[in-house]
Amino acid sequence: MGDKFDLVIVGGGTAGWMCAAACAAKLDPTRFRVRLVESEEIGTVGVGEATLPQMKDFNDFLGLDEAEFMAATQASFKLGIEFVNWGRQGDRYVHPFGTFGRPIGEADFFSYWIRAHLAGAAAPLSDYCFPIVTALQNRFMLPTGDPSDVRNAFAYAYQFDAFLYARYLRQWAEARGIERVEGRIVEVEQDSETGDIAAVKLASGTRVAGAMFVDCSGFRGLLMAQTLGVGIEDWSHWLPCDSAAAVPSARSADFHPYTRSTRRKAGWQWRIPLQHRTGNGYVYSSADISDDEAAATLLANLDGEAMAEPRVLRFKACKREKAWAHNCVAMGLASGFLEPLESTSIYLVQMAIMHMLTLLPSGPDIDPALPAELNRVMDIEYDRIRDFLILHYVANDADGPLWQRVTTMTVPDTLAGKIERFRHRGHVQAYRDGLFGPPSWQAVFVGQGIEPLAADRLADALADATLTERLSNMAAAIADGAASAPMHADFIARYCPAPAL
Amino acid sequence: MTGAVQQVVVHGGGVAAAMAALAVARAFGRLDTKVTWIDTGAAPAPHAALIASPDLATFHRLLGIDEAALIAGAAATINMGQQFAGWSGGEDAFLHAYGDAGSAFASLPFVQHWTRARQAGLRVGLEDFCLAAAAAKQGRIGAAQGAASRQAVKQGWHLDAAGYAHLLRGACEQAGIQIVSGAGASSRLKDAAWIDRIDLANGEKVEADLFIDADGALIGLLDTGGNSERPAACDRMIRGSAAAFDPPPLFSRVAAHRAGWLSVIPLSDRTAIEFAYDSRSLSDADAPAALAAVVGRPVETGSAEAMGTTMRRRPWVGNVVAVGPAAGDAPALDGGELLLLQLAVAQLVLLWPIDRAAMPEADIYNEEIAGAWARVRDFTAQHFRLNGRTGEPFWDAARAVPISAELASKIDLFAARGMFAHFNHEAHVEDSWALVMAGHGVTPRSFDPQALQVEDQALMAEFQRQLRAIASDVRGMDTHAEALRRIRG
Repeated sequence: MGDKFDLVIVGGGTAGWMCAAACAAKLDPTRFRVRLVESEEIGTVGVGEATLPQMKDFNDFLGLDEAEFMAATQASFKLGIEFVNWGRQGDRYVHPFGTFGRPIGEADFFSYWIRAHLAGAAAPLSDYCFPIVTALQNRFMLPTGDPSDVRNAFAYAYQFDAFLYARYLRQWAEARGIERVEGRIVEVEQDSETGDIAAVKLASGTRVAGAMFVDCSGFRGLLMAQTLGVGIEDWSHWLPCDSAAAVPSARSADFHPYTRSTRRKAGWQWRIPLQHRTGNGYVYSSADISDDEAAATLLANLDGEAMAEPRVLRFKACKREKAWAHNCVAMGLASGFLEPLESTSIYLVQMAIMHMLTLLPSGPDIDPALPAELNRVMDIEYDRIRDFLILHYVANDADGPLWQRVTTMTVPDTLAGKIERFRHRGHVQAYRDGLFGPPSWQAVFVGQGIEPLAADRLADALADATLTERLSNMAAAIADGAASAPMHADFIARYCPAPAL
Repeated sequence: MTGAVQQVVVHGGGVAAAMAALAVARAFGRLDTKVTWIDTGAAPAPHAALIASPDLATFHRLLGIDEAALIAGAAATINMGQQFAGWSGGEDAFLHAYGDAGSAFASLPFVQHWTRARQAGLRVGLEDFCLAAAAAKQGRIGAAQGAASRQAVKQGWHLDAAGYAHLLRGACEQAGIQIVSGAGASSRLKDAAWIDRIDLANGEKVEADLFIDADGALIGLLDTGGNSERPAACDRMIRGSAAAFDPPPLFSRVAAHRAGWLSVIPLSDRTAIEFAYDSRSLSDADAPAALAAVVGRPVETGSAEAMGTTMRRRPWVGNVVAVGPAAGDAPALDGGELLLLQLAVAQLVLLWPIDRAAMPEADIYNEEIAGAWARVRDFTAQHFRLNGRTGEPFWDAARAVPISAELASKIDLFAARGMFAHFNHEAHVEDSWALVMAGHGVTPRSFDPQALQVEDQALMAEFQRQLRAIASDVRGMDTHAEALRRIRG
């Protein structure tokens, strides 16, 4: 390669700086020049404060120090998501980052649990899950690394301040040679023949040219939508929430190593405990509640003093028709939006980055197989998450106009088949790639009241008494394991205390 | 819900019926499920041999099939892969071995580094970085002590089909499966989508909750979904036998012929030969001579048969599950026949109906099996699409045979970047795809830019280290004869 390959990232929020940091870590600076254009005049959205365990893989991929990263972003640990009032008012369950029990003989644990549960001989499913039992006691520990230990059967994620994360990655990436260009983009220049993006022009008159562009400009999609005209696939008929009111509150005594989602009249409320504050928000359907009422509901349901006025965000559930068009890849909000019910926003950014790095063209001509693959895998990621989110909406009591609509709507065929199959025999298809694995589906199905008629017959091989004994031993081992973990607040105070802001 | 399946009938003969009966009896016999095998007497074709991939060796453990018994009863030899000869034109050959396509390093698949080095002038093929391929070519097998390459070497089997069927039948008898003759039997429908019982010629009426059909007669009564056709190049096959090789190679050889392909499968007591050809390029009358000319020694041949290319869209309808030949015509290369049979039987055990009166499991099963067939067909179709024998009418036509969108994207992405588009139901591992595509002459046009983080000198040093490690590992391995002797005990 003679000249350097010029990669230009447009937008410096969480997505932009995650992408820049990955480029700094993995692209040879003698062959790639990577610049990020952002303007201090444009604020970032930064709602993605709760993450999935893949986040740790991304930080490891960069080579970040975990304790340093956590201190810099006011982070806490996360073992799962607690769903309150989902299914029925008063119900609660946790979608854990871990498995239920462990396989016995040829069948999986879940089949044995179903069998015992139907016979009235099982404890709740959550009692067989180490991260759930531990999380609900506000305890936390790192996996022990010993595969035979129940205290190893989980992964963990982080709850953090996404704005601080972007700032942290900015310093990290700039120190490793990523050039930051300050300025507001006033024009996007396209190649007159190919329509490819040639350069962005700034208010200052500066022209930033590149061979490849990454659109991290947020909802508006400056390059992808406004310039290249790539449309969206609208999913708002399945996921009708289109607004959120967000407000931070003072940290409360309950320092949960998990995120909470509470179902409400016109949507649901999140609670994300960080070291310096608690993040809160009400995601709602504006057809079913006014902004004022939503804000009032949110403020009435905080467990600490509000630290600001609620801020309102608007969105639409959708996926960009293509994540990669011409010489541009869209990431983050520019590539689509799925509400943060399962903390998937940062995961989707991460996937787009990892695939783009691997599929980056080697010169100015883009082999069509490269964008085709990125678009294929990102479609799969979006579609699977979409179905999983819709499942949360359909399996509820119809207690209100929104809930009447979503519980009777026609769901995607892919999801309808999944629900039927689970109802019949607890079947969940395992995929090679992408979210979510069988334990996630099992947790949500059972948590929201969809239970199978029977289990895998292979699980019938164990005698009743033996099964009962195995189950109770498993629950006891998990209870003992959880009791051995330190309190989450103590663990954080020792491991990664953040400075007061 | 009316309760669990209690009575099962397996209908058919040969390997498929026996394997299905055995697997079901072993999994569900302890739950008092009773298996009756109504044997139609169908047997493997004369001279037929089977290629068992390493997956089957694992499945045998679940079936309780002893490896020593395979050697004694099915003239088995060890199968480390398939060699493809002459598919690119000239005399060149490559080996698809069941192993690693080089060892990953710097967090990237080996193929990425290899592609980069090829662009810089490296001449060593991908196969040379595969321990299993190197070992197989030198007649070596088994785990090297203190392996330097840290690569996996997996092994399957070459099996005499008739001997294997006989051996499975013996295992069925031992497992307490009742075997009765199906000659003159007739089946009775409860309604359009359900079979009640089979009436045997001796007047006995065999009722069952679930029927496993390896013959095709039962599923034919219920299935109105029809078949999907696979575009194929060859429509005829003739089988034969020649004297055994001494020592037998650790791989079979698939040689391209102007009118088709010819597979040479080493067994301990003979060499089995399968010759598939296109009737437009070669007549049945001329086929035995053409076969003998390629083999270069005396061959006893059977008669030519039609090669089917269909797949049943819904192998499970009502309470009948079609397996083996009743489910469709498996691709005759890459061990497709046994691989698809094993997947069908294993999937049936996994999705064993929980209720004998209604079986919605059929939809899941049909989806899984259709996916597996599509991916297995793709693996075989790539040989024809990527062949390099230009100017020969059969091979030019084979290259133009339509392929699935999934295979097209696999080939395009490998050619562009040395990566693979993965779909659900993949039956072959990524390294197998890489070894075969590279073997057919596809060198990716570009590589993952993260590979550039490795310095040129470090790259060359790592390549040399891997080649040395492979050579040293191979020296520590057993010969084929030693390995067979050890298994016989």
